[in-house]
Amino acid sequence: MDVSNYVYLSALLFTIGAIGVVVRRNAIVIFMCVELMLNAANLAFVTFSRIHGNLSGQVASFFTMVVAACEVVVGLAIIVAIYRSRRSASVDDASLLKR
Amino acid sequence: MLTSPKLDYALLAPILIILATAILGVLVEAFIKQALRARLQLTISLAGIVIAFEQLYRVRNQGSSMAAITSVSIDGAGIFLQGTILVLAFVGILLIADQDHFAPQASALPGSIEEAAALESGRAQTEVFPLTLFAVSGMMLFPVATDFITLFVALEVLSLPLYLMAGLSRRRRLLSQEAALKYFLLGAYSSAFFLFGAALLYGYSGSLSLNGLTDAIHGGGGNDVFLLLGIAFVSVGLLFKVGAVPFHSWTPDVYQGAPTPITGFMAAATKAAAFGATMRIFYVGLDAAQWSWKPIISVIAVVTMLFGAIAAISQRDIKRILAFSSIAHAGFLLTAVVSLNQSGLAALLFYSVAYGLATLGAFGVVTLIRDSAGEVSDINRWLGLGKKSPLIAATMSLFLLSFAGIPLTSGFVGKFAIFSAAYESGNIYLVVVGVLASAIAVFFYLRIILMLFFADASNDSVSVVIPPLLTRVAIFLSAIVTILLGLAPSILFDVAQNFAYFIR
Amino acid sequence: MINFALEVGPTATPEAVMFWILAPIAVAAAAGMIFAKKAVHSALLLAWVMITLAIFYIAQDALFLGIVQIVVYTGAVMMLFLFILMLVGVDSSDSLVENIRGLRPASIVAAVGLGGLLVSLIGRATLGTDVVGLSAANSGGNVQGIAEELFTKYVWAFEVVSALLITAALGAMVLAHSSVIKSRTAQRDQSIARFRGASLANAAGLPSSGVFSRHNAVDVPALLPDGTPAPTSISKTLEARGDMLSSKPFELEEKEAEED
Repeated sequence: MDVSNYVYLSALLFTIGAIGVVVRRNAIVIFMCVELMLNAANLAFVTFSRIHGNLSGQVASFFTMVVAACEVVVGLAIIVAIYRSRRSASVDDASLLKR
Repeated sequence: MLTSPKLDYALLAPILIILATAILGVLVEAFIKQALRARLQLTISLAGIVIAFEQLYRVRNQGSSMAAITSVSIDGAGIFLQGTILVLAFVGILLIADQDHFAPQASALPGSIEEAAALESGRAQTEVFPLTLFAVSGMMLFPVATDFITLFVALEVLSLPLYLMAGLSRRRRLLSQEAALKYFLLGAYSSAFFLFGAALLYGYSGSLSLNGLTDAIHGGGGNDVFLLLGIAFVSVGLLFKVGAVPFHSWTPDVYQGAPTPITGFMAAATKAAAFGATMRIFYVGLDAAQWSWKPIISVIAVVTMLFGAIAAISQRDIKRILAFSSIAHAGFLLTAVVSLNQSGLAALLFYSVAYGLATLGAFGVVTLIRDSAGEVSDINRWLGLGKKSPLIAATMSLFLLSFAGIPLTSGFVGKFAIFSAAYESGNIYLVVVGVLASAIAVFFYLRIILMLFFADASNDSVSVVIPPLLTRVAIFLSAIVTILLGLAPSILFDVAQNFAYFIR
Repeated sequence: MINFALEVGPTATPEAVMFWILAPIAVAAAAGMIFAKKAVHSALLLAWVMITLAIFYIAQDALFLGIVQIVVYTGAVMMLFLFILMLVGVDSSDSLVENIRGLRPASIVAAVGLGGLLVSLIGRATLGTDVVGLSAANSGGNVQGIAEELFTKYVWAFEVVSALLITAALGAMVLAHSSVIKSRTAQRDQSIARFRGASLANAAGLPSSGVFSRHNAVDVPALLPDGTPAPTSISKTLEARGDMLSSKPFELEEKEAEED
């Protein structure tokens, strides 16, 4: 088997995450799909790092994890703030901003 | 054994000064009592920006691509953009200083007793100042970053505070929180695309830096599929940040929902930073592969210019009009990116300053037009304000004329520079579309000016409040620069041309 | 140091076996995550995907990253998600009926399109270079290798990330932390206030709800705090049949002011 199988897997997971963002309505689940996309990118980094034989990809993966953790904190704080105001985390209810 | 890395602190100092000021602001939040915080934070922030600008000025003629090993490249374009962002941040903080736009306590539910109590006790959410400074440090790092890790980190550092601050509006809190959520979700989505694109480019070139990417393109070793996909995905992330079609859908909603000073700051400074990074990635990293990305980006530029101009015609809310106008301006700036020549870079640098200050001024004026319930952003209620407050209406007209690109304003010089750069590079159709889009845009800008001056004053209780001192200073500065750059553009334009170079 | 280094090039059979068992499960878990009705199920499925990815990292010579993935990403970030889900919407289940017409089929088309495009394009890619493998880069140890890159080449990004962490902490506090506006009266102050009040009628505290109710019949409406009958406290059937009694006889009479 080929190392590029990992890259296929990463592309597939990325696609699933990208579609999940569009399809789901719960803001937290949408954010989880974004996390899946970031994880897919991490897998791609690690695989390419193995292919090219340098550790830059792993370092990039490491930074991604840190950044994702910070993003999660901020994102969930915003979602909790909205939930407390509206008693709902569904993005359908957040529809004051219409044309 | 590890040898400790050598960082050129003199060149990195502006960013470090802003970061230090932001951290000082956080300490003020922690230890100083409530009553003193607002003025202290304001002073610290402005002082930090001035000191950083002074340091930047001192190193303006130096340049190095090794300032932080391979992470940043401090060159002319980078220094100019950092200076631009500092100036825009200074004016932005003058607007933000009017804490009346921000919720007194963000954790209190809108309309609850706690919020009323917080309002009465004179609390203010002064964390806005350190958050703004963190965003500024990210914005200063984004245009000078030369490898994808630093680009991604800078992108997040500049975005996260903006997501937070978009939800802090005092009035119409629910709308504001919704804008913050939308901005956050779409921003995180596009950052994920950017990261995957970076991974694919790493897969193509084996190196995370832009120089490594160029070498790999010249060498032709890697597989082009990864290169093309990588460029596509990285562009998605960048085009989202600048608000280009088809990644523009967040712009009207977020601009409308966020507190007006934050909208102004976001519109002006984020564009400068994001276009700087876009230029660097496309000029330094992907120049050799230009036939891959030029056609698509040109098409996007055309569509963006036309869409921004046309969609604004039917809008009634001034903040949404300014949002669509900023989409159109993103299209103009993309024209400069596509030109791929030095005059395009110089034009982009000049335009960032001109557009940024005009935007800040325009949003500053929007904060002043209120009735008893708060800001009035429906332009149908602005009829006849020119008769009640001629000076403010004239200033707003000046900014709108600058957006439209009427001669004698800085906007005209900027547009002219961009179109001449596009003409030089042979993209005549971009010039044609640009002029067409400008002409369409003039329509709705003029309509607002006519509504201000040549309509009868309505009986509405809408009026222009007496501007707080700092807002007055901010609007005044923006207006002066807009006129000055329109009458004597060479002051800045020659500087921009001198600084329009990248160091590899 | 434990050598997980696997054969480079076409990966050796143990890795292939592991990949072909875990990868379909990971894809199934990811697909399940986007289709699950309950948000908590989505979170758990995502945690499973992350653990699978950690196993892949370890198999690909990224030992440090694999452990960090489990500890930080699955252990901290996903647990944070679960906490917030518990706070916010544990019993909120997305109705899978889609409001926007045509979004479902459009997104399925987009999914197939994007996924197919990516996979087919990557399939045509021959990657250009041979797989080098990380045995040389990891020669001093994976952790040492990452440390060398992190603290010499990428030290600037490493330091700037601290700004991100501070922003996250500050932002979370801004949105979630309410500082006390008025200080609450303590028990001692409340007790003093009760006894120093105008009358000693409430010195022992106000009566709790239900102390003054005069009946509990099902056909007599309950009284609201201001003395009027509550219309919703009687079954509609009784009201319609006319079996509702008046609550007038049960209301408290007004007492005249007492002489102290």
